[in-house]
Amino acid sequence: MNEPLLHIDKLNVAFSTSRGQVHPVRDVSMSVYPGQTLAVVGESGCGKSVTAMSVLRLIPQPPGKYLSGRIYFQGRDLLKLPEADMRKVRGKEIAMIFQEPMTSLNPVYTIGDQIAEAVILHQNLRGKAAYDVAEEALREVGIADPGRRLREYPHQLSGGMRQRVMIAMALSCKPKLLIADEPTTALDVTIQAQILELLRKLQRETGMAIMLITHDLGVVAENADTVAVMYAGRVVEHSTVHDLFDKPQHPYTEGLFRSVPKLGANVTRLETIAGTVPNPKNFPKGCKFHPRCPRMAGDPLCVDDDPALREVQLRYWAACHHIEGFAQAPITEPQLAYKRPETISEIPAEVLQ
Amino acid sequence: MTKLSASEPIGNPGKPGPGETDSTRDPLTVVRRSLVRQVARDVLVRWGAQIGIVWVGLLVVLAVLAPVLANSHPLLMKSKDGELSSPWVKHLSTADCTLLVTAVAFVIIVLTRWRASTKVWLLLAVIVVTAITSSIFVKQRFTSPDTYRDRLKSGEIEWAARAPIPYSPDDRQLDDPTARLRSPAGRHWMGTTATGADLASNMIHACRIALSIGFISTGIAVVIGVVIGGMMGYFAGVVDLLGMRLVEIFSAIPTLLLLLCFVAVFTPNLYMMMAIIGLTSWEGYAVFTRAEFLSLRQRDFVQSAIASGVPLRSVLFRHMLPNGITPVLISASFGVASAILAESTLSFLGIGLGVDEASWGKLLADARSSGGTFYWWLAVFPGVAIFLTVFAYNLIGEALRDALDPKVLKN
Repeated sequence: MNEPLLHIDKLNVAFSTSRGQVHPVRDVSMSVYPGQTLAVVGESGCGKSVTAMSVLRLIPQPPGKYLSGRIYFQGRDLLKLPEADMRKVRGKEIAMIFQEPMTSLNPVYTIGDQIAEAVILHQNLRGKAAYDVAEEALREVGIADPGRRLREYPHQLSGGMRQRVMIAMALSCKPKLLIADEPTTALDVTIQAQILELLRKLQRETGMAIMLITHDLGVVAENADTVAVMYAGRVVEHSTVHDLFDKPQHPYTEGLFRSVPKLGANVTRLETIAGTVPNPKNFPKGCKFHPRCPRMAGDPLCVDDDPALREVQLRYWAACHHIEGFAQAPITEPQLAYKRPETISEIPAEVLQ
Repeated sequence: MTKLSASEPIGNPGKPGPGETDSTRDPLTVVRRSLVRQVARDVLVRWGAQIGIVWVGLLVVLAVLAPVLANSHPLLMKSKDGELSSPWVKHLSTADCTLLVTAVAFVIIVLTRWRASTKVWLLLAVIVVTAITSSIFVKQRFTSPDTYRDRLKSGEIEWAARAPIPYSPDDRQLDDPTARLRSPAGRHWMGTTATGADLASNMIHACRIALSIGFISTGIAVVIGVVIGGMMGYFAGVVDLLGMRLVEIFSAIPTLLLLLCFVAVFTPNLYMMMAIIGLTSWEGYAVFTRAEFLSLRQRDFVQSAIASGVPLRSVLFRHMLPNGITPVLISASFGVASAILAESTLSFLGIGLGVDEASWGKLLADARSSGGTFYWWLAVFPGVAIFLTVFAYNLIGEALRDALDPKVLKN
């Protein structure tokens, strides 16, 4: 766990549109270690999906453009790899599953054809051998009677099963990193739990790292080791899941927690964060959150200066002028190697309190 | 976990797919049904498509079996000294050989249980190999067709099995001075042409041109259109802009006028006509493919394919094309019809094919003689054949459109 598997370093992505340049990802840094799950949390349009797509260089260029920054994967800068080498990374080293299982499978090919295609591409197998690997992959994700399912078409499968197929497809080549872009958003709650449990099980077995893109704090609490909270194209908070859920530092994260119902609390009305998500075409000046921020109280610093991500505590990065000692905190590379304990007894006592 | 997941899949076969009316059965017995089969079934239940397919099928059979059905050379004969021979085999042309071998190979390959892609590749290989070998090795002999009639009369040939229509399309019956422009009667079911050739024989041999010009020129147009349209839709931006201008330039060229110019400069030739019709009618297919690809490239399964490291060629033609080919296929079936019409028009105007190539349009042109007489059989038979063929392709195209159009309610 010393070397990060994936290290995104000050990534800036822009899109040129007919009405000027949009800049949805700004100075984003985060890292994922082997065997670890990093959750990237944020509202729609905060840049979390663009960050994830950038790792695989899936942003269409043009209109997209990588302005600056590096994405190191096993020591190589993915943004500088030639397209042919990038193709070998995609699917083999880094796999991705998408939000919509209903539309992520090609309707004209059988499940087997689609899994086998990836296997044939990356594992030098042909014909029957590739289909055997595909069948094994389906069995591993808990699909009953995989031999028969191989010959079926996507429309014959339910949403949960399709997401399992997507996972089987992603994992058939044993990737080192799995990027899951809201893998459970389109599924109903019981299936959601099964899929997340499946991902945890597969992670334990294979030791792969997972970059989990989500907006669901429940999913984060159950699955993540470390969390990066994104707002308006920037990482505003980055720490371990326990520290973050224990005491969030950034007002945006605080707001997120307040807008989730708590078990046992007798609340008639949920709180919301005032205002709306800023449009990437027209981000506010200074701190991007200041128009909605309850802490700001007319502070001119917030209006003028966009705070950098600083290490405000040990292993805790945040970007808000109104955190105690923020101005003195060092600006460091957010690198966080942390694996949550498997069982409750391993959790340090101070975290549980 | 494993137990949970094992119980979830069974009993939940998913939303029934398009037209999958019988999925209420036990999901374990849900049959594998591909989109192709589904569409084929939907097309085949329409009576219009049935008529169209039967007519085109009949044309295919006639085209393949033309040398057996209409031939001056006996299929089998016994000469006076007891020698058995099959003169028709020695007089087969390259095209005859290729067609016959391909047809036999097609029947054999269809009956096997190989994968569909294997079958297609094998069939293509057979066509190419036979076309090349027969163009090298088949040396067509020339024997005047009259000799058989003379030798039969003189008893030199003791006995001969003739084709149902014992006249080749180029048999001008020089031994019979009254053979020209006979109305349908006796041995000439459809009468004879101005040169004394049998009309029925010409009609049968002309099926080949009608079929091949339609399929090949439309095939050329579809390939060009799909490749250019696919690029425009996938890359968008500048590629799209330039591509659309190219489409506009080509749609400004009238096919018929261009054909007239070419025919005036070069010797009329079947392959040149196919190429010109193909090269000037691809714009529609390009525009359709572009529109489909523009929306397809944002779809999740395409993104997912790119994310799993599939090369661009495969993304475009393996993942996107089968999902976006529908409008192209529909308009291609109408395109076949219009290509046949274009050829007939040119042949009718007398600027189409070479002298020895039988074509319905050319036969039609013979109907009005310079003397002002109207020979009805020369107008009716080729005219009806052209009409029925164009009509058949339109019926098939319409059925295809209905089967593939999601807006049309099914059942």
